[in-house]
Amino acid sequence: MSVEELTPAVDTPSVRKVPVGRTRVIGVIIVVIGLFSLIALGLNTSSRAHSALTFSPVDILTNAPWHLGTLTLLTFWTNVILGLIMIGVGLEVLWRQPRRGVMGRFGFISVLFLLALLFWAVRTPGPSQVSFIDLTSILVGSSEVTMVLIFGSLSGVMCERAGVVNIAIEGQFIAGAFVGASIASTTSNYFYAAIGGLVAGGIIGWILAFLAVRYRSDQIIVGVVLVTMLSGLSSYLNLQIFTPYPKLNTGNVLGNFAIPLLDKIPIIGPVFFNQSAFFYLMLLLIGGVSFALFKTRYGLHVRAVGEHPHAAATVGINVARVRYINVVLGGAIAGVGGVAFISQQGQFQPGITSGLGYIALAAMIFGRWRPSGAVVACVLFGMSVYLADNLQTYNIPISTEILTMFPYIITIFVVSGLVGRVRAPAADGLPYQAG
Amino acid sequence: MRLELREITKRFGSFTANDSISITVEPGQIHCLLGENGAGKSTLMNVLFGLLHPEEGEILIDGEVTTFADSGEAVRRGIGMVHQHFMLVPVFSVAENVVLGFEPTKSFNRVDYKRATEEIRRISKEFNLEVDPDAIVENLPVGLQQRVEILKALSHDAELLILDEPTAVLTPQEIDALMSIMRSLAASGKSILFISHKLKEVKAVSDVITIIRQGKVVGTAKPTASEGELASLMVGREVILTVEKSAFAPGADVLEIRDLVVRDDRGLVAVNGVSLDVRAGEILALAGVQGNGQTELVEALTGIRPVESGTVTLNGRDITNVTPRQALDAGIGHIPEDRQRYGLVLSMSLADNLVLNTPKRAPFAKHGTRNLRAVDQNAHDRVQEFDIRTTSIHELVSSLSGGNQQKVIVARELSRPLEVLIASQPTRGLDVGSIEYVHRQIVKHRNEGNGSLIVSSELDEVMALGDRIAVMFAGKISGIVDPSVSREEIGLLMAGETQVEHV
Repeated sequence: MSVEELTPAVDTPSVRKVPVGRTRVIGVIIVVIGLFSLIALGLNTSSRAHSALTFSPVDILTNAPWHLGTLTLLTFWTNVILGLIMIGVGLEVLWRQPRRGVMGRFGFISVLFLLALLFWAVRTPGPSQVSFIDLTSILVGSSEVTMVLIFGSLSGVMCERAGVVNIAIEGQFIAGAFVGASIASTTSNYFYAAIGGLVAGGIIGWILAFLAVRYRSDQIIVGVVLVTMLSGLSSYLNLQIFTPYPKLNTGNVLGNFAIPLLDKIPIIGPVFFNQSAFFYLMLLLIGGVSFALFKTRYGLHVRAVGEHPHAAATVGINVARVRYINVVLGGAIAGVGGVAFISQQGQFQPGITSGLGYIALAAMIFGRWRPSGAVVACVLFGMSVYLADNLQTYNIPISTEILTMFPYIITIFVVSGLVGRVRAPAADGLPYQAG
Repeated sequence: MRLELREITKRFGSFTANDSISITVEPGQIHCLLGENGAGKSTLMNVLFGLLHPEEGEILIDGEVTTFADSGEAVRRGIGMVHQHFMLVPVFSVAENVVLGFEPTKSFNRVDYKRATEEIRRISKEFNLEVDPDAIVENLPVGLQQRVEILKALSHDAELLILDEPTAVLTPQEIDALMSIMRSLAASGKSILFISHKLKEVKAVSDVITIIRQGKVVGTAKPTASEGELASLMVGREVILTVEKSAFAPGADVLEIRDLVVRDDRGLVAVNGVSLDVRAGEILALAGVQGNGQTELVEALTGIRPVESGTVTLNGRDITNVTPRQALDAGIGHIPEDRQRYGLVLSMSLADNLVLNTPKRAPFAKHGTRNLRAVDQNAHDRVQEFDIRTTSIHELVSSLSGGNQQKVIVARELSRPLEVLIASQPTRGLDVGSIEYVHRQIVKHRNEGNGSLIVSSELDEVMALGDRIAVMFAGKISGIVDPSVSREEIGLLMAGETQVEHV
């Protein structure tokens, strides 16, 4: 079968059957989360327990001529109120069944729930050693994962907007991380490492584009094969190269570069202005990709190719070329993301990316194939990954695995259409045949 | 623009799609290319538009020999094409679609939408093609989408417009609007190449008619030629445009629909209290402009869409809200309106498609396994009986022409005992020869004493086939009339007037 012919039918019945009440389901889910927060995290706690929220700087020495102090709250009432807010939002969704913004509400509820969970975990008197939530350190800590995710999902946006599914983000991460680690170890220079990762990711992207565009292969299969191949190859090379020559994988972590004055701003400073060069590059990329896709002539061509390649071809746009360019660029972005990851982790190890590429892909879907939406989703997912890694610290009686599933569960919600309407580019994943 | 095609020959392997075709289009002329599906019209247009390259022959623009490497070049030389399947990006705005590929830009390669919008407003005004540049294309009705396609071509300074089967997806009103647009474009000096197989339209709008059959030009005609003459040139033999029917002898009610209410995909009431009876030995034709609930009505009758309230009985048996399987088993034959999407599995063979409705029944299956010999035998018989043109019964049904695809469906539905036949737009997009054939089969089925409900938005079809004509408007039956009434009267009913006396 070739490309689905887009027939703007006289009437398009039965194509998009929206089962009545899908929004209701999400409303019910929100209410359940709210009830859980209200009862288990709120009413269940002792009325004397309190939780503290601090905004202390990460590093007192380098950035903190300021002090915002600590906000101490009664756990019981805080969580009861948070729970009631969640229930309220859920009921509103149930009642009004809004057509837009359901996804936004769901994201908001997720953040509230995480907050409620943390308040509950750090309550004193309580089982946890930690007696306060440090908002700054949570944000800074999760920003590391978030940054890598953003590189990945921007890569996904680039490819899928042009109609090629890039499920190989994970593979591009691996390639970038491997190449980045070896270059950073030998040259001690992350600029060269980034170039190396860019090239490595770009090559993987090119392979995907070549098979998808030239041979019209199934892009999902190619993507999965690439990831499998790269994870195997990187393990093999790790054993053959890094193990005998540990100097090639010494692991050096890239330091932060604080932007003078701006880094002293409470909360925002440490999160945005005291980061590694990769973080600033990521900020530029978010703006750059959004601008390129939605403002420029080239972006219009890309989106046309992703939606209706035949239409694009009839006005003289070279569909294959656009797809090649975007998939190679997308691969390169993810490759740099892999280097960014290594710049935090230091040493390369097989399996080090642990599925971050797939979470990035999920974030892109949650973000409705838009850079801005993807960024919001990456922040949310980054937070949940960070918390999953730090559950022990807070002594939260949830197994890590449950929280690790969070991004994927949300993605299932999203693609099943529970949270509003998501629509992939119409020709996403479909090979294009001219004529 | 004066366009001349000289001896164009285009081959696909051993198949010659265009055999030294020569055509001249004068400035300000509406030149019609008439031919059956598969006659080579679209191939010729793709050659002209630079999408295909001819083996022989040349294209002359204003007397100058020209070759096009791709369609972009054809566009730059002033050729605009309005494709049968619109080449519009549904999620883009009108402005984005019109400027795509030819965007005005400002600094940093940004698209200058302000200038684009102004340009579109200007062209809209010049050619009297009103459309909101900021509207999203998928939200526009089909007629307006086509207008966007025309605007797009005009914005690229097209001097010659190719309209490829432009009326196939339009309602009668939209067709009228399109014709007046074509006339005014021609009056302003644009040349128009109009591809069609609908005789009425061709006669109404053309200056010159060139008829193509099997890749060759078989003649030219003036629009004053009779429909019969045009049809026989096109098909290559005498065509009977009127359907011979035996005397109308209705029997008992077969299908009874009472106060049926059905909702559409958006949850709005699409069928609003419809009551109809289909009698044995009768064709009840359901006329109406597309989108007045006919689709939902048929879907409800065949079990595809739930019924909100009301009843459907077939020979006294309640079949309200049955499953599609039960509807088939009860004896409903269904020719769906979109044959490619709902009538056939395109990636399956002809033989398999012919047993789609009875795959698990004897003789096609035994003990849960398929009896392929019986399936093949059935396919051979049906191909013979219904004159399906194919090289093999194992050919993918997607490789058949539209007319033959429809024959497959007709063969499948009519080759088993039916209580009632429900056919939706049974001849949409078919050529004259196939229309004639499908009509004959439907009438034969009726002459054998069976009841049929035929839904069509083609007035000609409704009047030719119907023993009684019910007209649907806004989810209701606005009237049931005798086929002897005038077209105007039915037209009024289609527009929602209900003063006409019921039969």
